[in-house]
Amino acid sequence: MWKIIESSVPQMLAAGFKYTIPLAIISFFFGLILALITALVRLTRKKGPFRIIKWIFSFYVWLFRSTPLLVQLFIVFFGLPYFKIKGIFPNGIKLEPFTAGIITFSLNTGAYASETIRAAISSVPKGQWDAGFAMGMSKLKTLWRIILPQAFRVALPPLSNSFISLVKDTSLAASITIMEMFAVSQQLAAENYQPLLMYSLVALIYAAFTTVLTFLQKYLEHITDRYVKAN
Amino acid sequence: MKLTNINKTFGNKKVLKNINLDFPTGKTTVLVGPSGSGKSTLLRTLNLLVTPECGQYEFEKQKLDFAKKISNKEKIFLRQKTGMVFQDYNLFPTKTVLGNIIEGPTQVLKEDKTHAITTAQQLLQKVGLADYATAYPHELSGGQAQRVAIARALAMKPKYILLDEPTSALDPELELSVLKVLLQLAREKQSMAIVTHNMVFAKKIADKIIFVENGEILYDGSPTEFFDPNNPNQRIRNFISSMTLEDL
Repeated sequence: MWKIIESSVPQMLAAGFKYTIPLAIISFFFGLILALITALVRLTRKKGPFRIIKWIFSFYVWLFRSTPLLVQLFIVFFGLPYFKIKGIFPNGIKLEPFTAGIITFSLNTGAYASETIRAAISSVPKGQWDAGFAMGMSKLKTLWRIILPQAFRVALPPLSNSFISLVKDTSLAASITIMEMFAVSQQLAAENYQPLLMYSLVALIYAAFTTVLTFLQKYLEHITDRYVKAN
Repeated sequence: MKLTNINKTFGNKKVLKNINLDFPTGKTTVLVGPSGSGKSTLLRTLNLLVTPECGQYEFEKQKLDFAKKISNKEKIFLRQKTGMVFQDYNLFPTKTVLGNIIEGPTQVLKEDKTHAITTAQQLLQKVGLADYATAYPHELSGGQAQRVAIARALAMKPKYILLDEPTSALDPELELSVLKVLLQLAREKQSMAIVTHNMVFAKKIADKIIFVENGEILYDGSPTEFFDPNNPNQRIRNFISSMTLEDL
């Protein structure tokens, strides 16, 4: 049995470092940017034509939160090649599996994280905005220098949740032909007829990855806690 | 600093009705009045945290007409010249005491950081908190926090400092530490406008008293006349006696 473990774990880890981790990190990065933009758009009190933009972003959040991630992956990877518009996409939208994965995971994470960020920004007392404005800061500067650092502390635990979920959800990318960690374990199981062992091993590696993330979260919480009262 | 014909409504409520006021330079103007009278709104107008529907605002050579749209540039320029101190301090919790004070000078005035730190340390000395530069706001008492807020406002070298009930959240002992700093500033001829419920303090520090009720100015003049027990205005006499517990 050791022999099988010895030969399969490195293959799984290699897939983990080559696909699982990059998929998770890149998607989370773009997802966060998208989430911040979405949260800000939905928080502004601008009226008039801007309402349409707000509506589009609300629709996006609704769409990605109300449909399964696996279905989203299938639509982007298998469905979009049939999305043909004369003149613009005459041959449909054909994406590389990895690109399709990044796009779908980013959009999905962005929708969930936008709600987290929206709540975190709202949780910062209004007086903090006033204090920034009162010293002559612009809205954007106040947001960046004063509000977001405070919102970050509030958003940290739920965002960590999202990131940990994302790391595990990348296993769904196996279904769109990306040879990430779970796909490799499936392949190995088919070769060596050890499904229990292979899937348990891959489960352990996922657990190891997310445990590292949990420690990272604890560390960041420790840093951001220095400016709040000890409980 | 001068306001002319200022009107402001929140929903259906008229909170400021045709306000005309002068704020002299180098003097302390104290705004008093019952809760909800509009005095805080008035003060926030001076810092443009509140934008009235109409009226004019003159600050030195700058003139704003609230009937027209105020540009962000005008807003930001004026806010730099009017430092604001809030009732609940509004210090930035993620920054140290020093970080709070140099934030405006380095980010808004684009001052050199070393220079800003030197000035900040002098200001901390002035408000009696020289040893607290590296502390975080949550480690301070209310009185200390408010003195940091005053130092933060001063760091912007504003022409005018606006204080919105600066000691209302403090117990009497801590209040004293803040009042001392304000009296010192008044002696140094720092232009100030203060909203307060503390009549003893108002009497002591004011060069000019403004009494606001229901969004109107009922008194605008010297403190001596205002606090005169024979003030002909019955409403003001009642207000002062209720605020100084003379009725009890």
